[in-house]
Amino acid sequence: MTTSTRPSPPHTRPDEPARSRRRRRSPRDRLGPRISAWVAIVVFGAFALLPAYWLLATSLSPQDQVFQYPPSFFPGDITFEHYADLADNPDLFRYLVNSVIVSVVTAVLSVLVSAYMGYSFSKFRYRGRRSLMYLVLSSQMFPQALLLVTLYAVFSAYGLLNSYAALILSFTTFTLPLCVWMLKGFFDTIPDELIEAARVDGASRLRIIHSVVLPLSAPGLVAAGLFAFVRGWNDFIFALTLAGPDKQTLPPGLVNTFVGEAQTAWPQLMAASLVVSLPVVIGFIVLQRYLVGGITAGAVKG
Amino acid sequence: MHGGIVASGRAGVRNTHTPSTTAPRRIGDGAFAVALTLPGLALLVAVVLYPLVSALVTAFFEQSLVIPGREFVGFENIQAVLESDFWRIFRQTLVFTVGSTLVPFVIGFGLALALNTGLRGQKVFRGVFLVPWLVPGVVVSFLWMWIFNANYGVANGLLEGLGIIDEPHAWLAEPGTAMAAVIIAKTWASFPWMMVMLLAGLQTVPPELHEAAEVDGAGTIRRFFSVTLPHLKGIVGLVLLLEFIWNFQHFDIIYVLTGGGPAGTTQTFATSVYETAFRGFDLGRAGALGLLWMIILLVLVVVYVRFSERGEQE
Repeated sequence: MTTSTRPSPPHTRPDEPARSRRRRRSPRDRLGPRISAWVAIVVFGAFALLPAYWLLATSLSPQDQVFQYPPSFFPGDITFEHYADLADNPDLFRYLVNSVIVSVVTAVLSVLVSAYMGYSFSKFRYRGRRSLMYLVLSSQMFPQALLLVTLYAVFSAYGLLNSYAALILSFTTFTLPLCVWMLKGFFDTIPDELIEAARVDGASRLRIIHSVVLPLSAPGLVAAGLFAFVRGWNDFIFALTLAGPDKQTLPPGLVNTFVGEAQTAWPQLMAASLVVSLPVVIGFIVLQRYLVGGITAGAVKG
Repeated sequence: MHGGIVASGRAGVRNTHTPSTTAPRRIGDGAFAVALTLPGLALLVAVVLYPLVSALVTAFFEQSLVIPGREFVGFENIQAVLESDFWRIFRQTLVFTVGSTLVPFVIGFGLALALNTGLRGQKVFRGVFLVPWLVPGVVVSFLWMWIFNANYGVANGLLEGLGIIDEPHAWLAEPGTAMAAVIIAKTWASFPWMMVMLLAGLQTVPPELHEAAEVDGAGTIRRFFSVTLPHLKGIVGLVLLLEFIWNFQHFDIIYVLTGGGPAGTTQTFATSVYETAFRGFDLGRAGALGLLWMIILLVLVVVYVRFSERGEQE
């Protein structure tokens, strides 16, 4: 008999097919865990979504229906009048413009400053680098209510109270830790060979950053930028304290406008709340892929 | 080596034809690398470090927000703070912090486990559950203020409909329930972050470990405690620690929902420092309260880290 008795290559794994078959029928696919998973999703999901639904429902209900007890869970008639009311309010429009200006400038400035810092942490090795990285990271642990106690005086001394600059400088600083961390992660994935090649071609060190590194990290820049935007958009305590009425952003502006001494205009407030939340929610859902990676990157890897 | 800077060494080692001129260039790179961090560092010093240190220093001065000048008073502010309602505020801060850390943790972990079972549409659910976390803190406060409203609130409507309560209750205005109501609102805002982090951790657990445990006869619950949980120890510790630190200094939701009331029962360090400085104009007292606040936070964090390190060695 001339059977080919070729020895199998040393590295094949005879159990390979069996293994993949086992994985297909892994315990994850069993019925019991699946049912409990759905129960958890429905129960906790109700907690997560019913309040959001109530926000929407209130904002669409006619005035007389909002102020009745017990509340009806489904609005009988749907009206957009509360949204129309918002458009008539010149103060709200000013707060909106302020919010857009402050958040956009914060986003751009944060990305720029954190990109330089993140690039330095990612591609260079120098004494004190690790200490600097931890200093930046730990700076987000300090209580903002306490910082404000003297930051107010500092900004006052430099004539920056009631200015966009006070808000933008504060928000940019508070976004640094996370943006630097996110962007460092992105730069780590850029091969050093590319940077080396650009350098051999005679590109200056700043040119390398602007023409090679940043374009390659576009998804990371967008994610970090959105993060910074949200920080500026959502802030309450700094805008409340450092900005006067004409530079105030939407969160403290909504408090000023709606939370009256006597009766709060609930349906209008819910409509305004929804409008304020919308840009952030939409931006996040669109960019979810990058952002979830960005949130969890540093933590899960160690 | 001068400053010890290499443009991330790896390329240099692998590439045999790296230009031999790198050596003198590295010194320039050192200055360049540090220069890149300067704008960020300047902001950190101006907006975080300097105000923080200077706020803590005011603890030892009699100083007003509106009147210039100050006078050294030693420990007088600290003594005055300790003799007023300090311990009540400490207790309330702790209740808020522990409650708003553990409740969202349980919900977030439950959802992460549920989403990790490989059911269809996992990413869609994750996106939907993220929504409460994205909503601005002020909106979270308005929404729960409306839900807990004494006259028209849906919480009362729901609980009465289910027969749990007999008559509408002013959840946020009653000293007995205000803190619980605030914790529920904060939980709603922060469980999604816990969920995302824990889900990312769960996805790093190798399925082989579960398979091996199952072959050895371990049930679902047993596998959770002997395989999943030990593997997640690091990330569980991290999310609990971070959320604890954040909640210990949380401001927005408490301030808008209750303003520290009723009768000061939801006052925490953050709202109290803010009130002392910007309503009472007393920077010295605010600084003293802040100093004690930071010391307590530091002690708690050190104890927690020690405790979890010991747990890891066992």
